[in-house]
This record gives sequence, C-alpha cells and structure tokens, in this order.
Amino acid sequence: MDRQQEYVLRTIEERDLRFVRLWFTDVLGTLKSVAVAPAELEQAFAEGIGFDGSSIEGFTRVYEADMVAQPDASTFQVLPWRGGNAGTARMFADIRMPHGGPAQTDPRHVLKRALDKASEQGYTFFVHPEVEFYLFKEPYISGQAPTPVDQAGYFDHVARGDGHDFRRAAITMLEQMGISVEFSHHEGGPGQNEIDLRFADAMSMADNIMTFRTVVREVALQHGSFASFMPKPLAGQPGSGMHTHVSLFEGDTNAFYEPSAKYEISATGRRFAAGVLAHSREICAVTNQWVNSYKRLWGGEEAPSYVCWGHNNRSALLRVPMYSIGKGHSRRLEIRSIDSACNPYLTYALILSAGLKGIQEEYELPDEAEDDVWALTDGERRAMGIDPLPQSLGEALDIMENSEFVAEVLGEQVFDFFLRNKWQEWADYRSQVTSFELDRYLERL
Amino acid sequence: MTSSPGTPLAALARAGFTDARRADTLLRDALKAMPAETDLESLIADVSNTADPDQAALGLVRVVEGNAEAASSLSKKGVERQRMLAILGASCALTDDVVKHPEHVDVVRTAGKPEPAAVVEAVQGLEDRPGADALRVAYRKELLRIATADLMAKDPLVAMPIAAHQLADLAGAAIEAALHLARVEVANSELAKVTVIGMGKCGGRELNYISDVDVIFLAAPVEGADEEAAMRAATSIASAVMRVCGQATAEGSLWPVDAALRPEGKRGPLVRSLDSHREYYTRWASTWEFQALLKARVIAGDEGLGQEWLDMVAPLVWEAGSREGFVEDVQGMRRRVEEHVPASQSDRQLKLGPGGLRDIEFSIQLLQLVHGRSDETLHSGTTLEALEALRDGGYVGRDDAAELDTAYRFLRVLEHRVQLYRMKRDHVMPSAECDLRRLGRSIGLRGEAEREVVERWRAQQREVRRLHERLFYRPLLQAVAKLSPDALRLSPDAAKTRLAALGFRDPNGAIRHLESLTSGVSRRATIQKTLLPVMLGWFADGADPDAGLLAFRRISDALGTSHWYLAMLRDEGTAAQRLARVLSNSRYAVDLLIKAPDAVALLGDPSGLVPLTPDAIRTRMTTAWQRQECTADAYTAIRNVRLRELIRIVLADLVGDLTDKNIRLALTRLTDSFIGAGLEIATRDIERKREAELDIDLIIIGMGRLGGREIGYSSDADVMYCFAPRSSDSKDVGTKASEVITVLRKGLGGSGPDPTLELDADLRPEGRSGPLVRSLESFTSYYSRWSAGWEAQALLRARVIAGDGGLATSFIDLIDPLRWPTDGISGSAVREMRKLKARMEAERLPRGADPRTHFKLGLGGLTDVEWVVQLMQLRHAARVSGMQTTGTLPTLWAGVEAGIISAEDANVLEAAWLLASRLRDVGVLWRGRAVDSVPSDYRDAEGIARALGRKPGHGVELAGEWRRTARQSRNVVERLFYGDPAPSPRGYPSRRS
Repeated sequence: MDRQQEYVLRTIEERDLRFVRLWFTDVLGTLKSVAVAPAELEQAFAEGIGFDGSSIEGFTRVYEADMVAQPDASTFQVLPWRGGNAGTARMFADIRMPHGGPAQTDPRHVLKRALDKASEQGYTFFVHPEVEFYLFKEPYISGQAPTPVDQAGYFDHVARGDGHDFRRAAITMLEQMGISVEFSHHEGGPGQNEIDLRFADAMSMADNIMTFRTVVREVALQHGSFASFMPKPLAGQPGSGMHTHVSLFEGDTNAFYEPSAKYEISATGRRFAAGVLAHSREICAVTNQWVNSYKRLWGGEEAPSYVCWGHNNRSALLRVPMYSIGKGHSRRLEIRSIDSACNPYLTYALILSAGLKGIQEEYELPDEAEDDVWALTDGERRAMGIDPLPQSLGEALDIMENSEFVAEVLGEQVFDFFLRNKWQEWADYRSQVTSFELDRYLERL
Repeated sequence: MTSSPGTPLAALARAGFTDARRADTLLRDALKAMPAETDLESLIADVSNTADPDQAALGLVRVVEGNAEAASSLSKKGVERQRMLAILGASCALTDDVVKHPEHVDVVRTAGKPEPAAVVEAVQGLEDRPGADALRVAYRKELLRIATADLMAKDPLVAMPIAAHQLADLAGAAIEAALHLARVEVANSELAKVTVIGMGKCGGRELNYISDVDVIFLAAPVEGADEEAAMRAATSIASAVMRVCGQATAEGSLWPVDAALRPEGKRGPLVRSLDSHREYYTRWASTWEFQALLKARVIAGDEGLGQEWLDMVAPLVWEAGSREGFVEDVQGMRRRVEEHVPASQSDRQLKLGPGGLRDIEFSIQLLQLVHGRSDETLHSGTTLEALEALRDGGYVGRDDAAELDTAYRFLRVLEHRVQLYRMKRDHVMPSAECDLRRLGRSIGLRGEAEREVVERWRAQQREVRRLHERLFYRPLLQAVAKLSPDALRLSPDAAKTRLAALGFRDPNGAIRHLESLTSGVSRRATIQKTLLPVMLGWFADGADPDAGLLAFRRISDALGTSHWYLAMLRDEGTAAQRLARVLSNSRYAVDLLIKAPDAVALLGDPSGLVPLTPDAIRTRMTTAWQRQECTADAYTAIRNVRLRELIRIVLADLVGDLTDKNIRLALTRLTDSFIGAGLEIATRDIERKREAELDIDLIIIGMGRLGGREIGYSSDADVMYCFAPRSSDSKDVGTKASEVITVLRKGLGGSGPDPTLELDADLRPEGRSGPLVRSLESFTSYYSRWSAGWEAQALLRARVIAGDGGLATSFIDLIDPLRWPTDGISGSAVREMRKLKARMEAERLPRGADPRTHFKLGLGGLTDVEWVVQLMQLRHAARVSGMQTTGTLPTLWAGVEAGIISAEDANVLEAAWLLASRLRDVGVLWRGRAVDSVPSDYRDAEGIARALGRKPGHGVELAGEWRRTARQSRNVVERLFYGDPAPSPRGYPSRRS
C-alpha cells in the first residue's frame, strides 16, 4: 500500500463516502463504471477487482473473460453531483489480465505504451483540447429534430441564457474535480458551447475528457436539458469538434519552440506536424470514428476536410496558432480534425505516435496552405498535393486496414476489434433508408 | 657501496630498479641536492621498497631539486621519508602535486589525520577562480594524507574501508565548500535552503580515489521567501556546485558531480522541493531508484532539511520489496548488471560483469531490500557493513561472508591502486607488465609481483564468480539442511521471503522439495546439498522455477542411487545446468523424462544431443524388436526406442543447437523409421499366424506434414496404405493386407511408454467411407475417375515412408502425373479450389476459436500458406522441377526462383509458416500438450516465449507478434490465392453478406 492509496482510504473514512466507482473506458470510448464498497477497496488496491471482460466492447473474447480492474489511486476524486451525506468517489482503473500484465485491449494501456515510447526518446506530450458540444431541450423524441436550448451564435452573450448558468455550473463542478478550465463560450451553432481545458499531460487529459463528458451530461440534466457530443447533430449547423493543441517537452524545454524559426516552430515541431499530416488519413477512422463524424468533416463551415497545414488558416487540418513573441513555453500545434466523440486515449496515442514517427524519420513538412482550401478547385488541390480526408467511415476503414503504423500503435488486438466493430457499424448504416432518400425519391421515382 | 656516490649498477638492479643506469643518475642528482651526510645505502633501500622504485627515484629528484627544506628533511632515514617515497612510487599524479606545492611535502611526511573541515575553511572569503583553486589545493592536501596512510598500511585490505570512508567524507567537505562558493556567486542565494544528498559510493561512505560523485539536490525556501524565486536560486546554486567541482582550473579539477540519480534522471529538474520528491517517490519511482536510495546520506548543506528528506524516503526504500513487479524488476536489473560489459575489456574488468564489484554491491543491496523490510539491522548504506549485518542475521553463511568480504576488499584495493597512479577513473586491470608490477608491489607483493598480482586476482575472481550461489542460494539450503554447525541460519520465514523474491511462486512447496532432496546422510543427499545452491540459481532463471525443482526431486527420487547420475551431476558441470534448464522450461520434457529417467544421461554424453541418423535409428529398432518373440513386446521395444530418441530431440531442442528446421526433419525421420519397424513387426506377426510368407507387397504413404517432412511434436501421422499381390495367383490379398495394417495400428496406437502416435488415414480416397487399405489397382481406377485436376491437392505431399521399393515406384509413377499435371489446372478448377477454401474458412475453425490467433486454421496461418503453395504447385510444378517436392518451404522458394512468386511475398508467407510451426512446437514443449493459438494466459505466453529463446519478460508481446505476422501473411494470401485484392471489409468471411 503506498501513500496515495492510504490517502484514498483515509479520505473515504473522513468524508464518509459510501461508494467508490472504478472508471475505465472501452475500445469505442464509452465510459464504464463498477462500484466498489469502501470496505473492499484495500483488497482492490492489492489485487484489483475481477470482472467479466467479454461484456465490454472490444476487451476480450468469451472464453478468456476474466479481467481485473486495478484502481489508480492518483486519480481519486469525489463526485460533486452525488452530494449529500453519503457521497460517491471515483478512480480510473487500469485493466489487467488475471495473471498479471496489462490488458492489451485497455485503451489506457494503448496510450501508456505510446507515452512510454515518447519518454524513452526524452519527450513528454502535452495536450489542450477545446471541446464543443450541443445542449438540447429534454426530451429527444425519435424521428423529430432535437431542439437547441437557444438560438445564439459565436461568443454571443445570452441574456438569462440557460447556457450561461449551465456553463458556470459545469465549470464549477469540473474545477471541483480538479480539472482546470481555461476558457468557455457560446459556439457558432444554436445551443452549441465550447469549453477549453487547461493543458495537461496526455494521460491525465484523456482521463479528464472522459470525466468532462460525464460532468457535462450530469450538469445539463440538472438544468433540464441534455448535452450531446455527437459530431454533427444538426444539418446546416456547425459540427462539434475537439480541436486539440499539442506540444512536446524535453524536460523543461518546449521542443517545438525555436525563436529564430518561422512561426517560432523548431525542426522537431515541423517534423511532428509532418508526421501528423502524413498519417492523418490512416488514423482518421479513430480520430473521427462514427458514421456521423464524416458529416462534420464534409459539412463545410470550418471543418478540416483536406490534409494541409497553415498559420491562421481556419480551413487547415493542422494549424500553427498565433504566438506571442518570447512565450516559448506555449509553442504548439493545433489539430483540428478530431471530433468530440472520439476515444481520447486511442486518438492521442495515434497523434503522438504519428508525430514521433515524423521526428524519427525526419519527414518533410509540405508547403503551407495559405488559401482557403475549400475555395480551391479539385484540380488546384491536386496540383498543390493536398489530399482529402476520407469521405466516409467506410473509406477511412479501408485506408486504416492497410496501415502497419496504426496496427503497431493500437496493438493488433485493438486494431482488429476496432476494424471489425466499425465495419459492422458501416454495414448497419448502409442498410438504412434515410429520410433524405424518402424525401427525394419516394414520390419522384 | 660506501661513501662513494657511484653505485654498482648490479646492486641497483637487484634492489628492484628496472633501469639501473637511469636510477643511478637520478639518485646521484638527488644526493647532490641533499646534505652531504646523507646515507645513500638507506636511501636506496627506502626508494627500492616502494611500488615503483624508478618512478620514486625520479619523483625524489623533482621534489628535492630547488627545495632545500625538503631535501634536508628527506635526507634523514626513517618512516617520514618512507611516507614520502610511498606516494612518489605509487602515484605520478600526486607526485606532480607535491612538486607544484612544496609545502605538501610536510603534509605527507608528518602524516596527520585527514581534516575534511579544512577544505571548507580554505575557501572562506574567496570566490570565483581563486576560490575554486583554493578548494582544489586544500582537497589534494587532505587526499595526500589519506593516500599516505593507505599506502603505508601494513595490510591494505584492512585499510581499504578506512580510506574509502575518509574519501567520502572528503568529497562531502569539498561539496560543502563548493556550496559555499556557489552561494557567494549566485544572486538571491539567501532565499533558499539547499541540501546535497550523497548517493552511490559517496552516500555509502565507500568512495574511490576518483569517481563521479553522485548527488541529489534538495531545496526549500527560507521562511517568508517566495517559493518560485527560492527554487530558481537553488537551481543556480546547484549548477554552480557542479561547475565548481567539475571544471578544470589552473589547479585541475576535482571530479564530475553527477545528479543523474535524481527523480526523472537527466530530464527532471536539477533541484526539487521536499514535496516534489515525495510526490515522485510515492507515485512514479521504480524499483531501481529505491535500491539507489538505500545509500542516500546528507553530505552537505542544510541538515535539518536533509533529515526530513531521509525520514521521508527511508520507509519507501524498505517497502520497495513489497511493490508489485518487484521480482520482475529485480531480475531485469540483475540481467543488466551481468550483461553490461564492453567486450574488449570483459576479461580485465574489475567493476562490471559477473563477479565484478558492481555485481557484488548489487547483490548485497538486493538482499538488503528483500530482508530489510522486517529486519532493521540490515539498513546500512555501506557494502561491507551490510555484508557483515547479513552474516550476523544468518542471511549469508559465515564462511561465505568472510570470503566475499575478502574478495570485495581485494578488488577494491586493486581498483584504488590503479586509480591512484594517474588519478584517472579507471576500473580495468592494466595489461602492461610495468603497470602490473607497480600494482603488485603497491599491495605489498615482492619478487615477481606482476605475475603474482594477476594470480591472486584470478583466484579472487573464481571465488566471486559463485557469488550468487553463496549469497542467494546457499543460505536457503542452510535453512532446510544442516550444512555446517553454524548456529546462525536463515529463519524459515526469511527463506520463504527470499525464495519468493527469487521468482519461486510457491515458497512453501520449494522448501518441502529442498528438505526432501537434502534429508538424510546418503551419498545422494550429500551431493545434492552441494549441488543445489548452484542449481537453485539455474531453476530461478527458468520460466517455471517451481516446476523445475519439483521435477528435479522426482527424477532424483527415481535415479537417486544410480552411480552415473550423481557422477554426471557432480563432475560434468554443464550437464547439471542443462538439466535445470530443461526441467524448469518444459513440461513436455519433464513428462518424457519421468517415463525414462535414465535418458537424463544424454545430457552428460558429448554426442547425446545429436539426433541419430535414420540408419542408426532403424538398426536400434530392428535389434530391439527382433529380440522379442511376442508381438506386443516387440512393439513395446520399438516404442521404448522411440521414446528415447524423442527425448534426445527434445533435449537438443531445449539446450542443444538443433535448428528449428532440423527438429522437424529429425522428428520426421524418427516417425518414418518407427512406422517402418512397426510394419515389419506386423508382417512377421501375420506370417507366423498364417504360417506362410506373405505374397503381397505393402507400402505406407505419408501425407500432410509427415509427407512434407515437417512434422512437429503434436502432429498426427497422416498416412495411406497401398498393397499389390506379388504374383497373379496370390489369394486373399486384400484380407492379408488388412490384417497386417490392423496389427500395425494396434501396436503403434494405444498407451505405451512413448506418447501415442495416431495413424490418421482420413486423407485416403473417399475419406472415412473408403476402405482403409487399397490395392494399387484400386488406387489407379479411383484416380482415373478424377477430372477437374484440383482433387490431387492432397497427393502433393504424398511420400512413401515404408514398405516395398518396387510398389513404391509404381505408386509414385501413378500419382506424379496427377499432382503435377502437364498443363497445370484449368481456370474453373482454380475457382473450385477458391470456393472450397472460402467455405472451409467459414466452417472448419473449431468452436470458440479466434480466426486471428489460431495457428493452423486461422487467417494467415499454416493452412492459408500451404494452400497458396499447393495452388502454385498444381499450376506450375510440371514445368518447374524444383517444385516437384513435398515440402512447403522448398516449393515456395522454387516458385521464387521460377519467378512465379516474389521473394517479398515468399518472405511474408515463410515468416508466418515458420512462426506458426515453431509456436505449435514450443507450445508442446512448455505445456506438455498441443497449443493451437496464442495463449491468453500470461504465464503460458511467457513460458512459450522463453522456449522460443526470447529474453525473459517478453511473453506478452507474443500475441501481438503472431497477430501482426498472420495479418501480413493473410494480406498476401488474399492477393495470391483469391487472385485480387479482397473487397472490404476484408478477412471476416462470416460477416460478409
């Protein structure tokens, strides 16, 4: 028992917590939770909690079902929305096999492996996501378009706005859970909000994003609405992305920073960017993992549909944001393809690994795209060597399936499961007859 | 030699000068500078008594020339002059110092006690370069005192720890002085309290004459100071300390200060607060860091802060032994210690490699971590003190501890003397004769010192080489069996803790086995008592130490009294080691050896691990069965031969140098001979029953992997039986053939001494519904009904393995045109094969099996690769003679040669086929039964990875490795077998709509 674990046990006693939830994430990015009575926690620290992995998406097959959830005491937090005298706390858990060794299918382990690789090369990976989501009025009735809570737009201040109260409540609760919020505002779509989390190392951040989604949903419910991280809930309105700013540190030094270089981006930074761009088509099925994700990517507005980079170019997939002279610490790259409904562990593992591959193999960064790439013709884009991202989940899977790189980063088991599951989703989707088809064809054909 | 300054050269040579003429000149020069009454004879005696008389003579001249005071004081004979000469003869670096600082002559001559505090005093009121110079001069002055006492000591082994202790204190004082200089230099330095923690040998008060000084910097703001500003100042102070000590000035440099042992190593901040350290050590630190902390000691700066820090880390250090993964971490660390030696110096290393200084220190620290949790007496940071405490607690045997103590001191003395000469960080025995001579003489040897010092060093090395046995394992034996009347013994609980730390998962069981193996006064128990400490180490290195020990007990019980067994274990060192490896890594080998314990003798036989030639096996089987009248006994006889040969192959696989390919070949040859001998016995049996010579010819055709000469441990023998009457008036020929085959199958099948070999005839015409035995005529008419061409696929691997030569030729003549059709096979036949294969993929996989992990029937597995090869063969073998063979890989590469398949694709397919074949085989070795897919169990995967020859700890990677190899193979199969890239989604036949 280490001190962190002792601290957890003491806190539970002192604050009279009745339940402790162990959180983990399945391969598709859904949060899973198992409750442990405080009395069993000591045992759980020592040996973990056994559970049947076969019922968790992507974890294991039926005949090797036993898995162990091992709580990570450093992630202990009291859940603020389960207040009252008998509170509840949560810890993230690592998933292990019964005879020791991490489960290869645990997304946390996939990210950890990627981070370990970075750390072998002397790097720490920091990320800073801007999470967008919509608030809709309760309830959602199948077949009817959801109703946003307001009709405001980008940065609008809404008088007596529910969104206002909501954001304040959500931020308070996030801060109570140790998640620092940098920034929040109303986004472009009606009922759409954005909350930016303060940068942290990728593992903490992936945990934070999982927590964030839960908190936002809880708070929305308390305010009589519901939150959705669906990438494109409303046709004709902006989708919900999760633009992520990334940076690599070597000890205390920002490895992307080079004061004399263009945009103050070092050679390492350029290679990292080149790596992310070069592999962006292969990893698209993970960064944008739902059928609906491609409606956002190809729905116009600011969506990054083409593989290119720019400075202050809001149509680029990868952006080198504005910088203030001399703030070397904050030099970073913004990746704009990721959407809010991704599995953050797998996504960050792939982004990091793509960047590291760029560094290691000294990829050349292509020329900067200075125009609005949406405004170019196909021919112009082709001449400039700008590839489109996949048009659909099916195409993304096709590309990913041939990627040794993605297989290596995700590990063969996750790779295999992910493809299988997503092909199934694609097949299910293809078999649908949509209202688009009925409206357009039924009477005419 | 009287008052005349001239000295006969012969006398000088006899006195030990190597260059007498030069020495003569030098001594004359020295004498000239000295007062007239100086006694030359005693001077020569004193000079010649040093480690390097020539060097000392030269040094003497340099010291006394132009220094009348020194000349005068050194003219008098006695211990004071001897002290100076000892330094001059042992260290040219210190000679330079004395020449440069004449006042140091008196320091050496008077041999005062070292006063480390003087170093701190020397820098008071100074700064910058003058400060750094003063620090260096003062440091050397104290260093001279330490070296003088060390060199003058009667017994260098006794003096070693004292010198090492003083050197550590001196280094601490030098850091304190550097800290003072740094504070003067750094702005705002008053904001921060700074403590320097000594780590490594400095922390353990056992420093060398010259080495990196390992430290960790710790800081806190003084009361009321801004924390950030304070930490910034502290970081500047720490950098300044490192610079002050490390940089070269007019007075040279001290030594590099190394802060790499701090949290996060070189990537972490140079200075941390107490809280930051606590945070790191409770959350992130790994086992080796706790082991390093064992030596932590406050050496400079704020003591109160340092004490708080020590109070914080101490409990963590002693809890480290109960951390998860401790055993694996420790084993990994041990391997690194043993491995890390530059090859060029492996033979002359004092520090690195097995039995080197680091190995000793590491092993002692490991025992401290294992037992120190429950025993506070073991908490010393000093190697020799810790060893003493381990001895007093009974954790290490008394005699072993004494010998190790001596060995360690001796190696350290050598290291000290080597370093002292030039003040260079060096841990290698010199090779030049003059260097060795000086080294030998510096530890008091005379005569042929250069030879003797090497001999003594080698002797100590031999002692230390059995270090792990002495430290780790022998005390365990002490705990269960009275080896010596030593009253101090490892307690049963401590023995269990230690067994667990060494990797035994069931310490109670292990203790029971040890007790059983060593109880009693029999010759066997006596030999095993001496053997087991070594063997325990070998078991512990295996994948399953517990199983190894248990198997050893069972085999010893079976063989215990055999004279050859004990002699083999005792006398043939490698035999015992091989046995331990076999037993702790292979359940299959254990199962076989339990049935035939005396086959253990193969391990002691130089040619024991080379598979016999087919002829030799045949002869052994024939002589074995022909002695038996009864048919059942005859079969038992050949099955015993098979068991023994199988053991030979298994042993050669595990500890010999049989390659993967040759294992499959050896197994095939053994199976061929076995079935052949079986057929002879059956023929004799029927001839006796019928009281007539059989008038039929009978052959057995090997199919599948047997036909391809590529069977593994778990393969069935796929066969067909074919007969022909010898003459046209033979009668009842079908019945006779059936009778023979029935006897054969009964004889080879069922339980017996060897693992059962199933004869599987399902690949015969019409499969299970066809007759078991067919005449050549019947085969001919059956095959003539074929039309499509693809039916001959199974025949591609047909090979006659036993029976009459004439019939064999006829049979082969019959099938060759079928399996290698002149114009290949038609497009529709190819489509037919593809359809068949696609259906099989959906249907044949056993229930619950994962198509991604099944070696044989899974995607990209054995069947996939073989079908690609066989399709290629059906199409092209008629015109490519290299493809007219039954082996999978030879055919594949013949295809590459003929340009039918690219070498790149062939490599991918071969890799998958080889990995699948090997995994199946090592699966049997490890688990004792067939393993069809990558085991999900961690320990199984680990055991299989070890049997594959992987380094320990890599088992978990196996599943990923197979999945990757198979996925790549499947991609090639899709393209080559199905003709074009697969439509997506690919590879999920059951899901395709």
